[in-house]
Amino acid sequence: MKKTYVSIISFLSIGAFLVMLFGFLWTIQNQLVKKETTVREQTQVVEEPEKRNEGKIIVALGDSLTRGTGDEEGKGYIGYLIEELEEKTDEKLTLHNYGVKGYRSEQLLSQVKGETIQNQIKNADVILMTIGGNDLFQGGQTLVSPDKEAIALIKEQYLNNLKETMDIIKSTNQDAIIYLVGLYNPFIDLDDAAMTTKVVRDWNYSTNQLLDQYSNSVFVPTFDLFQLKVNDYLFSDKFHPNSKGYRLIAERAASLITW
Amino acid sequence: MNKLIFNEMLKIIRKRKLIVVVAIMVVLISLFTYAQFREVQRQIEKLGDVDWRTTLQQQIVDTQNRLTSSGISDEWKAQLQIRVQQQQYYLDNNINPAEPGAPTFVRSFAQESITLFVPLLIMIIAADIVSSERSAGTVKLLLTRPVKRWKILLSKYIALLLSISIIVVLMGVLAYLISGVVFGFGGWNAPVLTGFTSIGGELNTSNVQLIDQWQYILMEFGLVWFVAIVVGTLSFMLSVLLKSTSASMGVMLAALIAGLILSNLVSSWQSAKYLFMINLDLTGYIAGSSPPVPGMTLLFSIGVLSIWAVGALLISFSVFVRQDVY
Repeated sequence: MKKTYVSIISFLSIGAFLVMLFGFLWTIQNQLVKKETTVREQTQVVEEPEKRNEGKIIVALGDSLTRGTGDEEGKGYIGYLIEELEEKTDEKLTLHNYGVKGYRSEQLLSQVKGETIQNQIKNADVILMTIGGNDLFQGGQTLVSPDKEAIALIKEQYLNNLKETMDIIKSTNQDAIIYLVGLYNPFIDLDDAAMTTKVVRDWNYSTNQLLDQYSNSVFVPTFDLFQLKVNDYLFSDKFHPNSKGYRLIAERAASLITW
Repeated sequence: MNKLIFNEMLKIIRKRKLIVVVAIMVVLISLFTYAQFREVQRQIEKLGDVDWRTTLQQQIVDTQNRLTSSGISDEWKAQLQIRVQQQQYYLDNNINPAEPGAPTFVRSFAQESITLFVPLLIMIIAADIVSSERSAGTVKLLLTRPVKRWKILLSKYIALLLSISIIVVLMGVLAYLISGVVFGFGGWNAPVLTGFTSIGGELNTSNVQLIDQWQYILMEFGLVWFVAIVVGTLSFMLSVLLKSTSASMGVMLAALIAGLILSNLVSSWQSAKYLFMINLDLTGYIAGSSPPVPGMTLLFSIGVLSIWAVGALLISFSVFVRQDVY
């Protein structure tokens, strides 16, 4: 009995040995011999994810503010916004947060050109965006050594990118309401506040002006929220909001959202 | 010779070592399956969606965010960058990198287990294959037979190779059966991309080819098997050299864990690439992740491992043939 058992296992082992040896040699052959054919064309059609009727879909795009950098609770304004909305409504809310820390307008533009993001945008009821902060401030460099021409150039590029981004979003989904969160001035309590304030105000004004060309798009001002006692609402990097700051933005945006 | 090998197989089975190994595998695979299951549930809950494109896009965004944090090391950064580009490539070509189903689980399980889990299982068999005979005193009975010493050692080695083979295959079968209960048994023909190479932190897709998942899994297990044999051979040598089983296990374990730690550190220490434990992650090459030391390739790693294994075999045989036994 024991003997046949051992024999069976031994023969199975020999079989296993041969199969594994084949697999190993095949790997070497496969990885080393260069093939002419690369990825064969995927013919299957991308099946459209079906638009579901229940609940509302919120898509968040943009930079570190969307991601929530600086928030001790890690939620960001999006997190608090969802909490606010859940109190306000019985709808089931689904959030897709595609914010990436440090994104500038051209990066957002190339992101929304992606097919997957567009599929999400297509289904969205509300689209929230924060963008432009990294374009303008560039980690604080622009406003430390201000140069009017340089800023004008940056702004022009930013507006072009934003316009193209908005065009893509609008052509993908006409009905979704777009909320673009404006910039605040994190340097407002520094010496040259007058200058930085003017730059940020101009920036917000131009952004708002651009948004006016599109239906169903709302500019959400945040400048006034951070105007007084800015340090109470900023994270220790003196650039990103802290939890309190994010809450302020969330409350304001939430009060504007209707469906 | 056949009888000798049979005799050695009998010893391995008698000591219930295969049973122990299988038991360990069943328990751990069940754990991993459950963990994976929970992860899938969490994704569905969080994204309200089971479309893989949504999940993959979210993963890309998450990784991009991790890339921007300043606290991560350069090696890890390079690794993440490669991963993002790879995921983007999958997304652009509309191929799901993780088609739900047991085969996908088997694929990622083999990938995860090649550096530590499989070597540990192999050590259970290999570490005492010679030293236990010595501690039990049975080696004298064995050597007083009218058989050449090298034949005895060879029969032990072949028995070891056979056990390693069946363990690796059993691992695949068990992973498939256990995870299949939860994730379903289909998905062998799902497309998988292989042939990514990374040059200087950039992903090179010129050699990428699309293969069926079963082919990929077969290749992967071929590599797992090769690594298992190399680790088995090294443990075998230690088992000949050291009189105590626990000592040889300890040495091997230390080497393996050192390998895991070093892989994350050595990118600036070029000559570390000749250490066997840095080269164990062979499946990483066909998956296209960036190697621990820049410039390492699949063939290089296989070469280094082969040299170590052949060296270990030579030492084992020359020592065992001349050794005094008392």
